[in-house]
Amino acid sequence: MSAVLEKVRTQGNEARYGAIRIDDVVKIYDPEGAAVMAVDHCTLDIKAGEICMIVGPSGCGKTSLLNAIAGFHDITSGAIYMDGEMLCGPGKPKADPGADRIVVFQNGALFPWKTNLENVAFGPMMQGKLSKKEIIEKARSMMADAGLSGTEHNYPGEVSSGLRRRVEIVRALMNDPKVLLFDEPYRALDSLTRSVMHESLLDIYYKNKVTIFFITHDLEEAIFLGHKLVIMTTRPCRPKKVLEVDIPHPRDYSVLTSPRFRELLEETASVVHEEARKSFASGEKEG
Amino acid sequence: MNMKKIRRSLFSRTTLRAIVSITVFLILWEAGSRSKEWAGFTMPWIGLVPPPTSVLSVWWDLLGDTGYWQSWYLSLMRVLSGFVAAMVIGIPLGLLMAVSRTFNSITFPSFEILRPIPPLAWVPVAIIFWPTEELSIAFVTFLGAFFTVVINVLGGARSIDMRFYQSAQAMGSSQWDIFRRIVLPATVPSIVVGSSVGMGITWNVVVAAEMISGGGGGGGSGGGLGFFIWNSYVGGSYEQIVIGMISIGIAGYACSELLRGIGGFFTPWLRTR
Amino acid sequence: MEQVERLLKRTLPFQVVSPETLDGIAEISRHEVFKAGEVIYGAGQPAEEVYVLVSGRVAHRIDPDIKARVHEKELQVGDVFGWAAILEGEKVRLADVACIEAAEVLKIDGARLLELLRKDVNFGEAALKSFSQLISQQYYLPPSVSERVPTTLSKVGDTRTPASNEAEPQTASAWTLTMYRAGEWLRSPDPYLMMVGFALMLGFWYLTVEVLKLPRFEDLPGLTTVVKEWFAEDPVYGMSIYTAEYYQHIWVSIRRVAIAFLLATALGVPLGLFLGWSRSFREYVFPVFELLRPIPILAWVPLAIIMFSGSETPVIFLTFLASFFATALNTMLGVESIDESYTRAACCLGANRWQVFKEVIVPGSMPYVFTGLQISVGVAWFSLVAGEMVSGQYGLGYVINTSYTMVRYPTIIIGMVTLGIVGYTTSAMVRVAGNYMMQWRLREMALGGR
Repeated sequence: MSAVLEKVRTQGNEARYGAIRIDDVVKIYDPEGAAVMAVDHCTLDIKAGEICMIVGPSGCGKTSLLNAIAGFHDITSGAIYMDGEMLCGPGKPKADPGADRIVVFQNGALFPWKTNLENVAFGPMMQGKLSKKEIIEKARSMMADAGLSGTEHNYPGEVSSGLRRRVEIVRALMNDPKVLLFDEPYRALDSLTRSVMHESLLDIYYKNKVTIFFITHDLEEAIFLGHKLVIMTTRPCRPKKVLEVDIPHPRDYSVLTSPRFRELLEETASVVHEEARKSFASGEKEG
Repeated sequence: MNMKKIRRSLFSRTTLRAIVSITVFLILWEAGSRSKEWAGFTMPWIGLVPPPTSVLSVWWDLLGDTGYWQSWYLSLMRVLSGFVAAMVIGIPLGLLMAVSRTFNSITFPSFEILRPIPPLAWVPVAIIFWPTEELSIAFVTFLGAFFTVVINVLGGARSIDMRFYQSAQAMGSSQWDIFRRIVLPATVPSIVVGSSVGMGITWNVVVAAEMISGGGGGGGSGGGLGFFIWNSYVGGSYEQIVIGMISIGIAGYACSELLRGIGGFFTPWLRTR
Repeated sequence: MEQVERLLKRTLPFQVVSPETLDGIAEISRHEVFKAGEVIYGAGQPAEEVYVLVSGRVAHRIDPDIKARVHEKELQVGDVFGWAAILEGEKVRLADVACIEAAEVLKIDGARLLELLRKDVNFGEAALKSFSQLISQQYYLPPSVSERVPTTLSKVGDTRTPASNEAEPQTASAWTLTMYRAGEWLRSPDPYLMMVGFALMLGFWYLTVEVLKLPRFEDLPGLTTVVKEWFAEDPVYGMSIYTAEYYQHIWVSIRRVAIAFLLATALGVPLGLFLGWSRSFREYVFPVFELLRPIPILAWVPLAIIMFSGSETPVIFLTFLASFFATALNTMLGVESIDESYTRAACCLGANRWQVFKEVIVPGSMPYVFTGLQISVGVAWFSLVAGEMVSGQYGLGYVINTSYTMVRYPTIIIGMVTLGIVGYTTSAMVRVAGNYMMQWRLREMALGGR
């Protein structure tokens, strides 16, 4: 019953939750020693239900920002709000990790020792809000929705990497999160699988409107998926150019060949390239 | 900058906690050993071990004793000879097994049959076979490190990425070139790992072999650190047992560190920035 | 033509064949060019030719009905595809292949290629084997497909029924894999070379000791003496498989190892888990651990005798100590090896600290724990023997030592061999238990082809 209600809520066209406000955030690693500045006075507004793509060269400090929102790392100054509530800020440098903001990791973090179904059911099981039977039922139906039927009892190591990413997203959605945080999740995939993943991500997004904070260094990916495009300067990271992508959703692969897509790509490519060159020249190690 | 770093690591929380931990350990040991004096009863197990303070005072007197240092020297020489022999024979054998499939198929099963027999079980046979006791200890020591070294070399050579071979072949390398420039360097890290494990086993074997065989003949100061411990036990000098144990610990640790230094020298590409 | 040969030489299956065969293959290969977006072939079509990619980019997508670990893949220059043309059984395309960019390919007629490879007595088999390797390792297909690569021995037009696309049910796959590997092993020269190795080892022993009676060697117990003694109903030196004493010694040793091993596991695994999990716990406890660890276990012998009365407890204590260090250390390394993203993911999904420990730390460190347990069994036997040789009564180490002092030399060898067998069996048991408890890892590795 409650699962059905939840579905109705999240399928409503406009997401009402998950607006993120990043307010003048600074992050300095090892302030007493080497003092490496990762994030430099970063201010950013993300609307509820928006796909916000963060683009920047590898190692520019994007991930520090994501870690601060997720609550893995503290921030040095500034504040981050979600739906007007302070996650971290003055007096509370580190946000509490919670099931309302779920990260999809770079190399995937499905537990290899649990079957796909057990992985998907993990969140609600831990929170103990629903009965075991309800959880399994919900997990099965969500996996079926995402085209994952038949792989429930496989271990993640047994299915293709593209399928694994899909399972991971479903695992996140099981908790009805307000925000999904993607940390270059498709970096390790080949370009064909990646294109399939983009479409399936959008498909899932249209069914469950959540805010998406998506880190990437692939500009085409960013324009194809995002409502908003934020190009970051290289370390320390700060928004250099913020751009609304005015290609209407829902999108599919024909967008890639549309003239507007090409225009946006041309408009942004030089900016990104310049930052990449800076990053390369400074010799930052990737990662 | 560097000085600052050193000072910071010296006074870091980790170091402080390590000092606390070891101090507490020593105090507990001291208190446990002297339990009879202050509590009136002997604590089980630990109460029978001599306390660290008396170990230290006995050790102080021993520092001028040539017999004690002679034991160090003898054990070190035995470890070294057995270990070097194991490396000299084990590395080529492991490489040969990795390179030649036929040779591997012939020798590996026999090798696997002998491997589960603990090296110390060889002691009596070694004593029967070798003319001198020194040689039989060296042989058992050699066996201890030998199996580990061979297995590690073989494993290292086997895990080389096929693409290295393919690209080398595509670039027209000869078999010998491939062996010298790919197999050999790629195996070095596992040789280093294998030798440090082997070194640990070697010390174990030397100590035990000295206890088992040295007890029979030799006698006096001719037995090495293992015999030093055994002799102290027979003579009832319990402090010296602990001194012997610590000495072996220090010697073994020093050997491993030395080995790690040498290994690091041979694998410069594994150093992190 | 030379260029074609050079290219073929760079592909996995053809790099091994003889120069004549390579000439032949080059002769029958045809050059063809495809435009971007053009389909080279589609799943279900008849398969006649094998392809080699010369230039360009090609997408390879395996029919979703076929169980493969990865279905989609972009081919690199030098990759071989279309190998369905040489499979036994129904020759049908298993994948859709299309060009991402304009591509040049070499087309090689499958039937004629097989003919050529069968003529190549020395290397044809190897080439075919690398085809099956290619299918399982680069295209991630199950053995039901890679096994259909013919061998040079089988006749042309083999009438084996094609393996069905509905691959075997999951549960059977491990067994099929084992059987497949066993069959493969028997077909290879390995088992016969192994026999040669054993014969050489035993022959050396027999010849040097009993036939040639070389100096020094003649003092050792000979092969036939040992075997006769071991299987004698009325052994000369008092111990054989027919005497109760033999089994008593084995039992005593096993019992000691079992007690020590179980105790070490029960204490070492939790300690290792906590050492890895809690930073401050590690910082307080690990230094003492590191202080004691460099002392070889066997140097504890006299102290153990002093601390524990009797002859049984000291031996068990020594065995325990060795196992304990190995288990605790490996468990700790196991916890440290767990990728941080797993614990973070669990936190994200609402797990509390205890749940993270139970659901992530414990299962995640299992592979290392079992490696540790295997090492632990090994060192347990190692120190047990030393303990039994120095002090203690009964047990295999004791047998070996007393047989020496009482000049019952053949019994020494019986003791050694028995130790080897028992030691090997126990570590195999730990391995099997590990595989049983880590199904996920087993399946992952089976698919990885290792």
